[in-house]
Amino acid sequence: MISGHYRVELSICGCLRLKLLETKLVELEAPAVLDKIRYFIMRALRNMRQWPLLCAASILTMAVALATVATFFLVVVNTEQLALRWTKEIQVIAYLQKAPDQQSLAGLTKKLKDIPEVETVQYVSQADAMKRFKKHLGEDASLLEGVNADLLPASFELGLQAQYRNQAGIASVIEQLENYLDVDDLRYGQQWLEKFNKFAQSLRFIGILLGGFLLFAALFIVSNTIKLTLYARRDELEIMALVGATMRFIQIPFMLEGAIQGVLGGVLSLAFLAISFVFILSPSLNSFWLTPTDFNLQFLSMNQQIIMVFSGVVLGVLGSLSSLRRFVRF
Amino acid sequence: MIQLYNVTKKYGGESAAVKDMTLQIGKGEFVYITGASGAGKTTLLRMLYAAERPTKGQILVDRKNISRIRSRQIPFLRRKVGVVFQDFKLLQSRTVFENVAFALEAQGKKRYEVSKKVYQALKEVGLEHRLQRKPLELSGGEQQRIAIARALVVDPLILLADEPSGNLDQEVTFEIMALFQQANARGTTVLLATHDHSLNQRFPRRVLTLDQGKLIGDQRPLQG
Repeated sequence: MISGHYRVELSICGCLRLKLLETKLVELEAPAVLDKIRYFIMRALRNMRQWPLLCAASILTMAVALATVATFFLVVVNTEQLALRWTKEIQVIAYLQKAPDQQSLAGLTKKLKDIPEVETVQYVSQADAMKRFKKHLGEDASLLEGVNADLLPASFELGLQAQYRNQAGIASVIEQLENYLDVDDLRYGQQWLEKFNKFAQSLRFIGILLGGFLLFAALFIVSNTIKLTLYARRDELEIMALVGATMRFIQIPFMLEGAIQGVLGGVLSLAFLAISFVFILSPSLNSFWLTPTDFNLQFLSMNQQIIMVFSGVVLGVLGSLSSLRRFVRF
Repeated sequence: MIQLYNVTKKYGGESAAVKDMTLQIGKGEFVYITGASGAGKTTLLRMLYAAERPTKGQILVDRKNISRIRSRQIPFLRRKVGVVFQDFKLLQSRTVFENVAFALEAQGKKRYEVSKKVYQALKEVGLEHRLQRKPLELSGGEQQRIAIARALVVDPLILLADEPSGNLDQEVTFEIMALFQQANARGTTVLLATHDHSLNQRFPRRVLTLDQGKLIGDQRPLQG
């Protein structure tokens, strides 16, 4: 840099110059790489401004596509969460032929607790059972007036440790139970458990299949939209190639444009998703009769939201790149 | 500057657009390429800026063989070759300044250099007062002058013009011709495809005549 007094001047053609007041004209030269980056960003932004409709079409398509895939993802994830919740409720209830007396109860409870698969043991006496039943009946509890308190059998409710909440675990517990107790009846929802396992499996399978299909459809639609927007600008691409622009020089602004549109599309899709979550997804899942009242529906985690915006960027960049190859041929 | 050896170009199964053509054009020459529509003028020019590759034969431009040029090398060939078309091929969404600057930016020229050169190029074609206009706001002759400024702003070795005056009236055509001659006077080799014989009468130069893809005539103007 030459020292001295400089004056910043805007020349006729808009270029910035530093004028050395004494004699020499020194031109301000930014490093070439920075100059190029600046040019590419400006070019991308200008292109978007010059073609607002095309740009909006790309962003909107990406947003809708991403939001559709993500909505589906949320349905699957929440249903699975719900299913997991249900398995927590899995317990073995042993109804006893005769209620044990106070002395043997403590020993029995301890024995049951020592079964390796068992996590919790809860004794429900005949009186407790009646109380529960009354509570369950609510306003109709008066129906039970005059009914003997020993009508209902006493029972043990055994909660299982998480890793044994399956058919094998239950079978093992039942086998051991029968050594200790004079059991009248056992309830453990075996049929239900089998059905549930099948349901969870098919849910995962359908989830992967449909999710993959949706993703493919989204990719197809987005790349086609980008192709159309580039088709409208094929003259520009042709002329760029004619005046000696390299493939990379043509690609970079379009890739940047795709990336910017991807970010906007991703953010917009999050907005769509939030709206569909609040107004459609959560009311419908919450009204599902098996949903426990304290079940919290999950929205995308922060990381998943970032991934979604990032997928928008990838979608935009790859969509632009793959379409460009069709229009720019050397 | 330009040499063709037995060049043939066929499109698909059709008869050849250019047949067994051999010719040489020296540095700084001004050459008309004439012939009826379909004679192969456009194909010949397209091969010279590598938009087409010859089916057979060799083409040398600036001593480089471009008949089997790699795609990656094409941009660098095109930086030496300015092209002007009948339909101008300007970007309607950009200003006159941006249209001309485009050619320099594509070559990665620095900003201050771009502004300066674009202004000079537009001044040479007499349109420096139209910098911020869009092409469609201008007349056909003015649009062609912008296209010429764009082709010349990069100081090409060769200027190819494909029917540049096809859409223009005679007065404007002569203005355009003057620009080509100026460029030629500065050392640029000019190839001008046209079927307008009045041009050669008014500005006599070497004439290559094509017919059905063949070179059937090569006349030079009488000296003096």
